[in-house]
Amino acid sequence: MGVYLRPRALDEALESLAGRALTPLAGGTDVYPAHAHQAAWNGAPDIDILDISALDELRGIVEDEAGWRLGALTTWSEAIEAVASGRLPACFEGLARAARTVGGVQIQNRGTLAGNLCNASPAADGVPPLLSLDAEVELASLAGRRRLPLAEFVLGNRQTARRADELLVALHVPRPQPWAHATFLKLGARRYLVISIVMVAAVLEAADGRVARARVAVGSCSAAAQRLAALEAALVGQPCDGSLADAVEPAHLAVLSPIDDVRGSAGYRQEAALTLVRRALNELDGHRREAAA
Amino acid sequence: MLTVTMTVNGQKVAKDVDPRTLLVQFLREQLNLTGTHVGCDTSQCGACVVLVDGKSMKACTMLAAQADGCEVTTIEGLAKNGELHPMQAAFKEHHGLQCGFCTPGMIISAVDLLQQNPDPSEHEIREWLEGNICRCTGYHNIVKAIQHAAQDMRS
Repeated sequence: MGVYLRPRALDEALESLAGRALTPLAGGTDVYPAHAHQAAWNGAPDIDILDISALDELRGIVEDEAGWRLGALTTWSEAIEAVASGRLPACFEGLARAARTVGGVQIQNRGTLAGNLCNASPAADGVPPLLSLDAEVELASLAGRRRLPLAEFVLGNRQTARRADELLVALHVPRPQPWAHATFLKLGARRYLVISIVMVAAVLEAADGRVARARVAVGSCSAAAQRLAALEAALVGQPCDGSLADAVEPAHLAVLSPIDDVRGSAGYRQEAALTLVRRALNELDGHRREAAA
Repeated sequence: MLTVTMTVNGQKVAKDVDPRTLLVQFLREQLNLTGTHVGCDTSQCGACVVLVDGKSMKACTMLAAQADGCEVTTIEGLAKNGELHPMQAAFKEHHGLQCGFCTPGMIISAVDLLQQNPDPSEHEIREWLEGNICRCTGYHNIVKAIQHAAQDMRS
């Protein structure tokens, strides 16, 4: 029988983590199904659990001049609500859309953004939108705190830079330029309750009718979701006149390394990613023109 | 063992549980509230949906220990003084079920929907129910029942 701890204070949680290897548990939406699946095949893992769901200091969304801090216990539903109510601005729209594609409502009520990052599935719906927002993760341990860009945190399939004694305590999103809009497009075998074949998240910042900055991330097409740096560079300065999608070249997606699996072939993924990137930019270009009109 | 205390359908309960007990096991096996069903064990089907502090949750996706101090409502807690909840009455009236296995979860999810959106469109109802699977594919009458319950509850 493994250990189960449910501390009420962060210090207590960090002390436990320093002493032994524990699997942090928050919403549990990745942990329980995996457990049930393995149990069905006689391989029930008796993992030691650190349940962080009672750590109230990991709750809440706070805004300051630099941007926003989302506590590690922020659920998908809370993110959706914060965007719908305007507490989080339009640049978070992609994240809200991704949140709506994570399971059904009840999963969104329990699952956390931070858990999605720590689980580090190549198909994690939260990773591309947060990558496109230049999110950083805040990690705490008895040794202190550190912040890492998300791209340096999610390292590969189920691999992160979190040390065994560290807990992800918050996400930080820097403030974009005044006009910033975002989107998220997901391709699955059906509309709902489905693991992504390809997903694209994009944040477009515009000024004077031109692209000031574009951030585009693609998920499910490599071990960890990737930003398309070459495309982002090519987009800067382009006019938002309905032609943004035309700037996308297949070579801009060369950083992707999709695999063949049960959900789709590598070639299909590469092709679908190109289409979704173009659609995402076309949509944001349209928003910009509406705003200007 | 761990002592958990929560209010289930208005009644305070305190029990010793193995910390790994899922909320759904706790409700069914320790409180004998077997109206909450276990369909898939993998948090997909929604047969085990209950309200935790008013929000719909899959009771197979959380531990009983995580509901410590919470208010939990199961299908058994909806009827008041022998009167069916309007959602239950609408499911009965419009035959929003076939085999009935998914019904407790469907009804609880629908109750949560109407708390948040008292006048949902058909599309909003269908979208909301994405985490509740009816293996008989009897969605048509389920959606109809929820539309009628919404009407009844607004009037």
